[in-house]
Amino acid sequence: MSEREQLRARLFLRSALPLIKVVAADRPNYRKLLYKANGIVQFAAKDSSYAAYVELKDGELDVVKGMHANPTISLTFKTAADLNTFFAGGVALPSIKGLAGIPLLLRVVPFLLKLKILLPTAIPSDPQEQELKVKLLLYMITHALSQMNKGGDEEFVKFVKKSPERVYQWTVENGGPAAFLRMKAGKTKAGRGTYKKRRPFVHMIFPNIPSAMKVLTQQVALIEAVRDGFVRTEGALEYGRDIGTQMQRMDALLNEGI
Amino acid sequence: MLDAKEKAMLQEKAKELREKLIQVTYNCGGSHLGGALSQMEILVALYYKYMNIDPKNPEMVDRDRFVLSKGHGGVGHATLLGDKGYFDPELLNEFNKTGSPFGMHLDKNKVPGVDASTGSLGHGLSIAVGMAMGARFKGEKWHTYCVLGDGECHEGSIWEAAMAGAHYKLTNLTVFVDRNWLSLDGNTEDVMKLEPFADKWTSFGWRVITIDGHDFDKIAEAIEAAKAETEKPVVVIAETVKGKGVSFMEGEIGWHYGGLDDQTRDKALEEVRKG
Amino acid sequence: MAKATGLTWTVADADSMSQAEIYGEVLTQLGGENEKIIAMSTDLAKSTKIGMFEKKYPERFINLGIAEANMIGVASGIAATGLIPVVSTFAVFASLRAAEFVRTDLCYQNRNVKIIATHSGTSFGQAGTTHHCTEDLAVMRSFANMVVIAPADSFETAHAVRAVMEHDGPCYIRIGRGFEPPVHKSLEFDYEIGKAIELVEGNDLTIIATGVPVLHAVEAANRAKDQGISVRVLDMHTVKPIDREAILNALLDTRRIITVEDHNIIGGLGSAVSEVIAESGKACAFRRIGFKDEYSIVGYPEDLLHRYGMDADGILDVIQEVMKAEFEEDEDWEDED
Repeated sequence: MSEREQLRARLFLRSALPLIKVVAADRPNYRKLLYKANGIVQFAAKDSSYAAYVELKDGELDVVKGMHANPTISLTFKTAADLNTFFAGGVALPSIKGLAGIPLLLRVVPFLLKLKILLPTAIPSDPQEQELKVKLLLYMITHALSQMNKGGDEEFVKFVKKSPERVYQWTVENGGPAAFLRMKAGKTKAGRGTYKKRRPFVHMIFPNIPSAMKVLTQQVALIEAVRDGFVRTEGALEYGRDIGTQMQRMDALLNEGI
Repeated sequence: MLDAKEKAMLQEKAKELREKLIQVTYNCGGSHLGGALSQMEILVALYYKYMNIDPKNPEMVDRDRFVLSKGHGGVGHATLLGDKGYFDPELLNEFNKTGSPFGMHLDKNKVPGVDASTGSLGHGLSIAVGMAMGARFKGEKWHTYCVLGDGECHEGSIWEAAMAGAHYKLTNLTVFVDRNWLSLDGNTEDVMKLEPFADKWTSFGWRVITIDGHDFDKIAEAIEAAKAETEKPVVVIAETVKGKGVSFMEGEIGWHYGGLDDQTRDKALEEVRKG
Repeated sequence: MAKATGLTWTVADADSMSQAEIYGEVLTQLGGENEKIIAMSTDLAKSTKIGMFEKKYPERFINLGIAEANMIGVASGIAATGLIPVVSTFAVFASLRAAEFVRTDLCYQNRNVKIIATHSGTSFGQAGTTHHCTEDLAVMRSFANMVVIAPADSFETAHAVRAVMEHDGPCYIRIGRGFEPPVHKSLEFDYEIGKAIELVEGNDLTIIATGVPVLHAVEAANRAKDQGISVRVLDMHTVKPIDREAILNALLDTRRIITVEDHNIIGGLGSAVSEVIAESGKACAFRRIGFKDEYSIVGYPEDLLHRYGMDADGILDVIQEVMKAEFEEDEDWEDED
């Protein structure tokens, strides 16, 4: 399963971890934690070429893929599988290099914990939290699907390869969060907001945040969701089903062993 | 047959309309004077004596129809229609001007009393054939009149329509040819020979009546004969003079179309008033 | 199609033209409903099927002999008396021989005359270019007041013939020779002048077709589906007034449009559609299928459709070409994070 774990690590590091930037942007109280913080917090696995680091410059947060030459603190897991367990909310201990960076790490940890909001079990009742969850989920789904293609998931690569230019769009109506996945002949791009250059090939539209929550966390089956108006699809319906299948595969990959 | 009073009235009307025509031409900068003058008596006889029309109700269902197939005679036709009361004759001051209802070829959608928009030669006879057929389909008694130019008869479609008129024995159609012998480039016989013109029509199945096209008695006789005809459609070949009534225009191809200055207008007016 | 083996079918085998008979039937029916209808032809009553009307209502039929220009002028005169002439002749004669009469006597004067132009495009293939007509849409479209219709099959023709009677003004209906296999199964569908019919749903690409090629567009769309390409087919039976809304929707939904017409690509459907696209200010992959400013060769109509790329094979080739054109290496494919 090593290949699968590698792909999983790619998704955690490239699709999930960067979402802490969204948390920082949307939550001033979290941003405060980073007041004047400087330094690099790196995540890596010994058996993997995938790595990423959180870069802090005067309290500004960024997530960069790859290895940093001189991280302040580095969390290196023995295997990609361990890294994945860590990001999936399980227990896996990394070797830590740069003990002086521990205070810095502690300032970043609340952001990592906040990503738990993505877990299917997290059902916030606060409207603001709900909105954050939906937003993060949409960004995650589109980005992770794209990464599955770029990371070589055989089945999804095949799906994308034969696709002419098509845009799959997810939108919460009335100015809610939106994200899209554009594909064309083997290439994919995840984007945020509404793709404007062409009408979506498939457009999944949620009337509001609670509806989007219900559907995206699979609290309701899709058929009921459509029936009850929690979601509607415009465009090529069959392809809506197909992309749904791919989403479930991605979901299974990320939540393996949880 | 015309009685003396009728004939005098028609002659007076022709004189009056020639004056108005000259005035309209002077105002608008130029018109197809030559042909408008040659067709004058034919139109006057039809509109002031024979046709069943109502200028207050131009679309009257059972009115007689009139198609000026030689559409460039439009300036004469419009002058007459204004005099008849189809519209305010003052409107003719705008003749040829941008946005005016009147131009050298009349538009049936703009000018009350005009039954077909003509100007492109060789169309009007087909339309008149259709109107005559329409009357027959509808069992209506009205009559259709059509005036052709002689040069216009160079157009092949005139003979297509002539065939159809004869084939369908359209006795409710009377055609006049304004035979003034001149087209734009010269004498019709030099440009493209029409003669033997009457024989052509005869061989196409028409009854031909040849008359002096400026003589009201002859025109009246021809119309009455045509309306009494029961076998064939009638074509009246009206021998006319292009530019009739103005000596310096008569028989001059230069006056097919022309404008008038103060001097030529006054001279022309003086001549037509004398009659 | 078996009968289409030579010239003789136009006259001698007229009885086997079952598709065309549907239109003849409808016109005859209309004749019963509306006594104002006068049918006219130019020695082509049998070939054009307007002869069916003649049989039932000989007193309301006129043959004008082989003189198309005169027929149009006469029709104008008849319409001037309040009757509704329906004239039928071959498209090439109605639209080109008699063009100025159509323009001046019908359109300029806005006369209520219906032209049913048969043997349009290359449907009279064996007769050669003198009898083909690949210019009529362009000519007729440029005449103000004229409504221009090219039905996909005789069921549509039947609808069109009925629909034009409700329109007060000149109308031009362009049909084939009457042997074309039908697109529709019956008359049971909604038909409205100026409103395209979406025959196949799709979101990758739209084929807008008119007349005989509509059937082939449907076939091409079905084949493309097997290749994973989702093709919409719009039956643009009315070329003027064109259904702007359907075109703009296709433009926004699919951003790839192919037009197909049995006509020169200049001036007809392809031009009409491209005008709408260009005026929208939105970019779009666009191809026109039809005669590439050339005269057609002699041949059986099916062979000509194939040779000039208007059948399913040819349309599919262009679909693939358009889809392939996008497989380039020119863009930023970095995910936004």
